[in-house]
Amino acid sequence: MEIDLLFKIAAIGILVAVLHQVLVRAGREDQAMMTTLAGLIIVLSMVIKEISALFNSVRTIFNL
Amino acid sequence: MEIVKIIGIGLVSLILIVIIKQYKPEFALYVSLGAGIIIILMVLDKLLGIIQLLTTLSQKAGINATYLSILLKITGIAILTEFGVSICKDAGETAVANKIEFGGKIIIISISIPIISALLEVIMQLIP
Repeated sequence: MEIDLLFKIAAIGILVAVLHQVLVRAGREDQAMMTTLAGLIIVLSMVIKEISALFNSVRTIFNL
Repeated sequence: MEIVKIIGIGLVSLILIVIIKQYKPEFALYVSLGAGIIIILMVLDKLLGIIQLLTTLSQKAGINATYLSILLKITGIAILTEFGVSICKDAGETAVANKIEFGGKIIIISISIPIISALLEVIMQLIP
């Protein structure tokens, strides 16, 4: 589970960058911005799931 | 053997960050955040054993259990604050990092009030 999270985030980042360039070249700046936002939201949801897992485990270990 | 995994994850995330930084700098921040979380989660399980050892030793030594639980809370808060501060500093937001650090210090001090008051009582008894 661990390392492929990083690869997923990197793949989404590169994909969004490429899509952004393609859409900008095609003259559709608004859709380019939409795809960037979509990629951002996907990555954010994954990272936030990890952050909540971290906070829960620290809370249970140190009984905060 | 565990250390090899940690170094591996760190190096892989470093490579990914360097690649992504040219195209989308904000995704580099997410990769570094993810790598930090993964490494801490891996190490946290070992911390459990250390904490059990500490509790058994403190029971043998007759130390009050509340002091040890306060110490553990402080360690947990320190770990989380340091995690947030380093991420903010990486992103270049030192102002936010300092605010997080300031908040962490205040919380730690407020939690350790019982210890401080107990210490003062002991000192007062020593002075005739």
